[in-house]
Amino acid sequence: METLDYFLPQVWFVILALFLFLYVILDGFDLGVGILSLTADGDEKRGMLMTSLSNVWDANETWLVLMGGALFGAFPLAYGTILSALYIPILTMIFALSVRAVAFEFRELSRRKWFWNNAFGVASFIAAMSQGFALGSVLAGIQVDSAGHFTGGVWDWLNWRSLLVALTLVQGYVLIGSTYLILKTEDDLQETHYRTAKIAAFTTLAGALLITITTPIFSEVLRAKLLSSNLTSVFIAIPLLAVLLIGLLLRSLFAKSENTPFIWTLLLFLLSFFGIGLIVFPYIIPTKITIYQGAASPSALVFMLIFVGFLIPIMLFYNIYQYVVFRGKVSSAEYGE
Amino acid sequence: MEFLPDSYVLSRMQFALTAIFHMLWPVLTTGMGIYLVVVEILWLKTKNPDYYYHARFWSKLYVLNFGIGVATGIPMEFQFGTNWAPFSEATGDFFGSILGFEASMAFMLEAGFLGIMVFGWERVNPYVHLFSTVMVAFGANLSTFWILIANSWMQTPAGGEFIGGKFIVHDYFQAMFNPFMRTSVLHMFFATLETSLFVIGGISAWYVLKGRNKAFFARSFKIVLGCAIAVAPIQIYVGHISAEQVYHYQPTKLAAMEARWETIPAGEGGDWSLIALPNDKAEKNDFEIAVPEALGLILELKTKLSEPVQGLKAFAPEDRPHQIGLIYYAFRIMIAIGFFLAALMLWSTWQWWRGKLSDENIGAQKWLMRAWIFAAPLGYIATDSGWIVRCVGRQPWTVYGEIRTIDAASHIPAEEVFASLVGFVALYSLLFATTLYFGRQIIIEGPNLELPLPSEEIVLVDTDPAELQPNQRPAEAQQ
Repeated sequence: METLDYFLPQVWFVILALFLFLYVILDGFDLGVGILSLTADGDEKRGMLMTSLSNVWDANETWLVLMGGALFGAFPLAYGTILSALYIPILTMIFALSVRAVAFEFRELSRRKWFWNNAFGVASFIAAMSQGFALGSVLAGIQVDSAGHFTGGVWDWLNWRSLLVALTLVQGYVLIGSTYLILKTEDDLQETHYRTAKIAAFTTLAGALLITITTPIFSEVLRAKLLSSNLTSVFIAIPLLAVLLIGLLLRSLFAKSENTPFIWTLLLFLLSFFGIGLIVFPYIIPTKITIYQGAASPSALVFMLIFVGFLIPIMLFYNIYQYVVFRGKVSSAEYGE
Repeated sequence: MEFLPDSYVLSRMQFALTAIFHMLWPVLTTGMGIYLVVVEILWLKTKNPDYYYHARFWSKLYVLNFGIGVATGIPMEFQFGTNWAPFSEATGDFFGSILGFEASMAFMLEAGFLGIMVFGWERVNPYVHLFSTVMVAFGANLSTFWILIANSWMQTPAGGEFIGGKFIVHDYFQAMFNPFMRTSVLHMFFATLETSLFVIGGISAWYVLKGRNKAFFARSFKIVLGCAIAVAPIQIYVGHISAEQVYHYQPTKLAAMEARWETIPAGEGGDWSLIALPNDKAEKNDFEIAVPEALGLILELKTKLSEPVQGLKAFAPEDRPHQIGLIYYAFRIMIAIGFFLAALMLWSTWQWWRGKLSDENIGAQKWLMRAWIFAAPLGYIATDSGWIVRCVGRQPWTVYGEIRTIDAASHIPAEEVFASLVGFVALYSLLFATTLYFGRQIIIEGPNLELPLPSEEIVLVDTDPAELQPNQRPAEAQQ
């Protein structure tokens, strides 16, 4: 029983990390394309960018819903504490995602496409920023009492460190969005996004470096963890690997290859995730409440694992199938093409 | 800001607003999904292109509603964390798991196949397409299933106990199959179906009345009428069972639904109130018209009540709901609509039986068509009224008898909740107006009967991506 008490929360930590990762890369390129659409010249091009998302945006966003539901079930304390502590960024994200979803549907029906195109782009940017602020605040630590209840203030989430995370996340989304568009478009549009991808690769790198340097300086707990744990070599390897991946990414961008930029970016995201996961583990509310303190009862974790566990491969399968069905380049501003 | 009510009251208002508004969209898509499956099967079986055009036409309205449903659904889930953190912590073991299942089984299934259902006509073969439509409809209905499990558990918690304010589950299946669960799931399933049937029927009737594509829409009219013959009476029966369960399990809610202040002992018939002006302060109805000795018949189909109907005054003011008028009238509105729709179904069936709905005659049924147009929005009103009875009537509890609403809310400043509430009011007003506008536009535009049928030899599942070059996909671009 005792091993189960440790094992089950760890399994759920990994599952949640998987859901969050899938959300961040999938809705990441989705939001990135949205942000990029603000820079597109002309509503025809903007329309094509949105068309590249027409059949997948909804499924991509659903990973967030899934992640929310799983966090609620597996770590109810963290769900309540984190979301209520981050009331403003979370609600802002929700408003932005709502506007984004309806802008997507309305623009197709509307004659005033520019209005909904812009709403889509602006909402994508706001959603990405809110997610960045939320992520930054969680990593920096939310103020809680010993029972794990929020004791901080309304504006705690707003500081220069979470702003740095937010800006970096936006860069990351723009990067993955650009590489997705390289994959899905041709000619002019593709050219443009080779350029945006190059710029975003540098800005993402700069942001990531700043975060990597400032985090151990300002967080005592994390500094102790980085220095004392036997993972030091891993923590040194991650930035080196990241620089290597950025190098490979830039090379593929300059070589104008179509598929590899997206793949290198995915690996870059995966690596960052791995790094963040190592830093956060074993906390679910860093650095106050561990996954063992915050987990639902073992029976609940088993109950959920039975139902959700066997569905994960099935969900992955039909999501991939949908991408296979709609593979190929986008050729018009009509949805579904 | 002194004028603001307590933070928990604002959180409640926000949840009520977002839930009532959210309900308007899935209630249609859930039922319409089944209709889309039906017409697609009919198309594959009969090869009659009309059915294909029906699938294409109604799925435009489907997608519009689906988009708003997703946009307004996300706030529902996240509010449990933002505004109801203590509730989330206390019930996470069960309630959170159920929401997780809804997302992974239902939501994802719907979203994963929606793209193919809407845009995939030219890309997959017809049977894969039908499979996708079935999955979308199935996913939506699974959503109903899980959400109603979660909500019925809040009404009649079972399968465990509250220890130190936290729900400890002893038996997950007992918690899932709690006393209200079966009827709640069925009542909601038929609510989505009935609402959709009358929306589809009402829109079809509008075209018939206008004389546009009469034969085409007579077809959808008869399909939904055929379904309504079964659905409308069953829904009344399931509703009756639901009320009987409230009588046995939630005495405070029943008292509010009936605006009963004094207890009616077992063995009496009991008056059934028809119109009343409940006065919460004076603890009586200022005015009332009641049908004598009818309550036993209505609740149990017996002339004498087998259990007492407890009056509101039998409970301390802090243990009973206070918006009595709202609950009382919401309940009556729902019932009135249920019977009106059943009567409309009977009238229409009678006309059908007499051959008055044939392609030549249906145009002459002006009043019948007008009645269906009038009925189109009624399902929404009935469904939201039902939810108001269910959840306002449950007050002051979030989990009936276990967690009070005041204890379930997050301790966040009222200003913050007020700001988000104002945001929701603004956003949702805009969404409502815009959706009506675009929905109207889709209907005025009407079906596109020129659309080329999907080509017979669709083999795109196995084709090389190189063959999917731009100019080879004609049909959709012209839509």
